Amino acid sequence: MADAKEPKPEFTRKVIEAGGATVNLCFQCGTCTGSCPSGRQTAFRIRKLVRRAQLGFEEDVLPSEDLWLCTTCFTCYERCPRGVEIVDIVMALRNMAVRQGHMAEPHRKVAELISKTGHLVTLRDQDKALRGKLGLDETPPTVFSDSKAQEEVVKIASLCGFDKLVAEGGK
Amino acid sequence: MSSPEPLEERAPEGPKTPPAKDSMTPRIGVFVCHCGSNIAGTVDVSKVREAAEKVPGVVVAKENKYTCSDLGQEEIIKAVKENDVNRVVVAACSPRMHEPTFRSCIQEAGLNPYMLQMVNVREQCSWVHSKEKDRATEKAVDLVRMGIAKAEKLVPLEAREVPVEQSSLVIGGGVAGIQAALDLAQMGFKVFVVESEPSIGGRMAQLDKTFPTGDCAICILAPKMVELARHPNITLLSYSEVEDVSGFIGNYSVKVRRKARYVVEDKCVGCGVCADACPVKVDNKFDMGFGKRKAIYVPFPQAVPLKYTIDKDNCIHFKTGKCKACLKACANEAIDHEMEDEMVELKVGTIICATGFDIYVPMKRGVYKYWEYQNVITGLELERLLNASGPTGGHLIRPSDGESPKRVAFIQCVGSRNKKIGNDYCSRVCCMYSMKNAQIIKEHEPDTEIAVYYNDIRAFGKGFEELYHRVREEYGIEFIRGRPAKLSEDSETNSITIRAEETLLNKITEREFDLIVLSTGLQPSEGSKRIGKILSLSLSPDGFFQEAHPKLRPVDTAVDGIYLAGCAQGPKDIPDSVAQAKAAAASAASIMAGKKVKIEPLTASINEELCIGCGLCVEMCPYGAPEIVETDNGTKAKVVEALCHGCGTCVAACPQKAITANQFTDEQIASEIVSALGGMEGTNGKARKPAKKAEEA
Repeated sequence: MADAKEPKPEFTRKVIEAGGATVNLCFQCGTCTGSCPSGRQTAFRIRKLVRRAQLGFEEDVLPSEDLWLCTTCFTCYERCPRGVEIVDIVMALRNMAVRQGHMAEPHRKVAELISKTGHLVTLRDQDKALRGKLGLDETPPTVFSDSKAQEEVVKIASLCGFDKLVAEGGK
Repeated sequence: MSSPEPLEERAPEGPKTPPAKDSMTPRIGVFVCHCGSNIAGTVDVSKVREAAEKVPGVVVAKENKYTCSDLGQEEIIKAVKENDVNRVVVAACSPRMHEPTFRSCIQEAGLNPYMLQMVNVREQCSWVHSKEKDRATEKAVDLVRMGIAKAEKLVPLEAREVPVEQSSLVIGGGVAGIQAALDLAQMGFKVFVVESEPSIGGRMAQLDKTFPTGDCAICILAPKMVELARHPNITLLSYSEVEDVSGFIGNYSVKVRRKARYVVEDKCVGCGVCADACPVKVDNKFDMGFGKRKAIYVPFPQAVPLKYTIDKDNCIHFKTGKCKACLKACANEAIDHEMEDEMVELKVGTIICATGFDIYVPMKRGVYKYWEYQNVITGLELERLLNASGPTGGHLIRPSDGESPKRVAFIQCVGSRNKKIGNDYCSRVCCMYSMKNAQIIKEHEPDTEIAVYYNDIRAFGKGFEELYHRVREEYGIEFIRGRPAKLSEDSETNSITIRAEETLLNKITEREFDLIVLSTGLQPSEGSKRIGKILSLSLSPDGFFQEAHPKLRPVDTAVDGIYLAGCAQGPKDIPDSVAQAKAAAASAASIMAGKKVKIEPLTASINEELCIGCGLCVEMCPYGAPEIVETDNGTKAKVVEALCHGCGTCVAACPQKAITANQFTDEQIASEIVSALGGMEGTNGKARKPAKKAEEA
């Protein structure tokens, strides 16, 4: 078989150390996939992602688009009969992926916004207008209206290397 | 022979008079075992032997490939005789494994069997330090030196013999209890069977057919039930509870509460006129709530004993003081509303615990909606709905509308192999009972569409794989590998859609069914917790009773004279339960047939002079061994040796240091500690070279 692969336990160990401690408990029953809202819309099969992590198929997992299709809704985590902390595994894998320069573009954009503005979403003009209509301050009392706090956010992102990680992760 | 004698100066002709071997100057033989490569692969056995040889008092030290083998034991016997050895140290595996072996070995060599000290250099050295060979060897040397130090202080002990009652108590009247009782009775022993329900028969009586052969459960069970009731050696105490057990192997006293059934058993002929007269209808527990019964009832037609019982909680008389319709109806004057619970005392030599299992009850807010959707039922409920003597006469219906379902789905592993709820184990019967029930449904209604949602199929028993093949090939049952993630009900039709991933296709499917059967697993029965406490039985991590050894003592418990049968020990099918029951009966019989049993002398003993009769030992003892007695010298504690397990709790608790644990005396333990610290104390009058540590100390 052309695509026959050897399991790589070293990678599985790395996943476990990075926070996916329960990865080996999975027995592939599919409760997670059946529960998955992403799986409804796409070909994403969280069960297969866990299986690949279990087998240590690093090159199948880290660069994969699939890794970014999980919405971290925790439904699978709740229903799993084996106590596999699936979302923790996804998070661990994503952290590893970003360090290798793999990050889905939408995620990168969001991360960039956080590192620059402290918010997941920007404040658009129509949002401001809507707030005004409701009798609220146009700019909410968050980092948006506090330039000092915003500077601090940028500083924190820079000091912990988050901004750099995000910038490189998108490559 | 009074003064210590160095080995090399021993008179070549040997002792002139037959020596009182055990008590004289220690002459120690040390035998170090390789255990193949189990020990020798890590520990340098020769080094250990050489170190042992140098310890004063040791007259012979040898190593063996397998000390427990015939050859190894022969060598011990030979060495003991040739070297006039009076204490033996065996450095090998855990004493739990081979202490009895070597005790009888040195007894054969003419020594008191308790002049043996085991040193565990396998579990405690080679197995746990397999990566540090030098240090493992060093530790083995230290442990052997400690063993030698203790061996010097050993004193001979005598096992006591006590007579054994020629009778047995069987707790639980399911198929395991029935079989164990019948076997023992057949061997000539008196048997008391205590069953908490009004009838014996247990879970098997509720089943429709049995897998994989399709035998009707009650048809093969009922003859055994009747035989039990009629057997001259068996006393059946139905509708009764074991309240207390005291005593020890061969001599148990049992208190049994005979619950008032408000019907005199001797007078009731089981005609059922009373039930016809009774105006109260309640859910029949035996039918899993599907059928109805009266407040005076027998749970099922084949009940043994066929005696009616009044369900006090639902009887109008007990609620309002009125009615008594049954009393008026009964021609035999068998009804007695004034009846009270009665206590019975039994004397038995052995006990068989066959307390069975309960069906796992699905979670209240679980994904499978057992408590919300009427058409989601459990496997045992399906058994009743398929059973010819069940509430529907064997006609499968769905609960919401009484229609016969055209599409049925089974969901496997409900309550089994589930870490979230703490049931890690496989229940071992659900795969097969689901296949069996699927086949029965197909036989009743060949057009029914049946799917089994499974994760792994376990068809390991005799004829199981063949049944799996048959239901797939001949009956067209569909097997879908995937555990359903979600069930949703159509509010108009009450049909249920299962959403699941077919993992073998990577496909998420949604399919509608008329009836969902949850293949619920087995868990320890509610009553077994209470019985376990009364009998001091330990539980394995799955919550079922723990056997003494998973392979070699599968029906014994840690308590001598108490045995396990059936699902009390873990989930199993009917043939396994019957086999285990027969094994438990044979084990109990082997004790009773001996008429007498040896009681280990490794017990606590009390120095009456030091004892102030404070009673702390009585309070602390988990086995009820010490008791307070009045003597000529005042109030004193006394240990009932047969009850004592030698655990040492009382020894540690005694404020007067009046209690000694045989073979674990303070002197013996201190000698080990001293040796471990490098040897402060002399051996046979000769000072050992103190190690640095001890000098500093």
